[in-house]
Amino acid sequence: MTRPRQHLTPDDIDALLRDGADPSLLGHMIDCAECALLMAQQRAVVASLDALPHFSPSEDFADQVMFQVAVPDPFAMRSMATARRRVLETGRSRALAASVAIMLVGAMAASIIWTSLNRELLTSAGTWLGGEATQWFWVAVRGTFANVTEQPWFDAARRAFGAPVRLAAVSACIMLLYAVGLMALRRLMAFPSPTEGAAHAGA
Amino acid sequence: MTAPQGIQALTDQEVVALARSGSEAAYRELLRRYERPIFSLIFRMVRDRELSEDLSQETFVKALNALESYRPEFKFSSWIFKIANNTAIDHLRRRELNTLSLEGSPHAATPEAIEATALQIGARQETPLDTVEAKELGGQIEAAIGALRPEYRACILLRHVEGRPYEEIAEILDLPLGTVKTYIHRARNELRESLGHLRE
Repeated sequence: MTRPRQHLTPDDIDALLRDGADPSLLGHMIDCAECALLMAQQRAVVASLDALPHFSPSEDFADQVMFQVAVPDPFAMRSMATARRRVLETGRSRALAASVAIMLVGAMAASIIWTSLNRELLTSAGTWLGGEATQWFWVAVRGTFANVTEQPWFDAARRAFGAPVRLAAVSACIMLLYAVGLMALRRLMAFPSPTEGAAHAGA
Repeated sequence: MTAPQGIQALTDQEVVALARSGSEAAYRELLRRYERPIFSLIFRMVRDRELSEDLSQETFVKALNALESYRPEFKFSSWIFKIANNTAIDHLRRRELNTLSLEGSPHAATPEAIEATALQIGARQETPLDTVEAKELGGQIEAAIGALRPEYRACILLRHVEGRPYEEIAEILDLPLGTVKTYIHRARNELRESLGHLRE
């Protein structure tokens, strides 16, 4: 005489829900009303869960995400990959790259050591260079100014901007041009809206 | 912007490889494939549409900016669902802490002190967005899912809404396989009990 089967375990229920159950489980369901009811209820719950829909986020969701994502530059990626491939291509290229790296590191180390040993010399050289640069800068400024004032159009320009009203008008024109330029730049940099994209796709 | 036809036929791993090489279309394809499942999971976890948008955005920004750290030997879906689940669970934990603090300072000794230190929240008017949410999550099954513990909720949603196998759920939630099976079994039983009155 066979011993009656125990009630369904969680694993049995899983197997029955996946339709991969042992035939003995199905036999037990016929004999045991309690387990049959339990399975019917479990199937109803799973059917309700399976029927649940996916929700959609707002239409501009992808654009908002992409705005915060740093997409790698393909040109830079390709250049890096090419450089890496070429360096690692042959033993000779690897040796060359290693010697260049050693030379660079060696030169940097030598320059650090030399700098730390010759601070006074560097300070005096820096002071002299600074003085020379300032002198040359003022000579250039004076030369440019003298050159501009001797131009034939200088007096006419001076008279044109001399009156406050004209100066204000010119400033207003420049400000207006600047504002128009800014607006044009903003329009150029704006993301296309999804509706615009759809219109293009439909066209 | 729609992804080129070719990309749609590629596997997740191939799309990720393209994205890593700098293809914006590949990034958008990953978004297209996962925005609805990720948003749905988070929405059912936190039950607030606006907040779900923010948390889903956070999930995608984290994932897409860290594509270099993704290991292609694992499923991309497991990786992104793991980030989404962690983001939602972190938020629920923070919210739990905030809710406790609304009930008054833990250092308050008398009932008056507790009342004085508790934040007063006025009756909130239902906004049109709340109405939409109530409609979206208003079904008996959605309400029953909302009443589950967050761990059970994540397991049952991944198993029966997203159709993920137990092994993948264990990987996503960083739980032993046995625990996942137990959670799903308990969650189904709780749902069965919650929905039982409908059948009577």
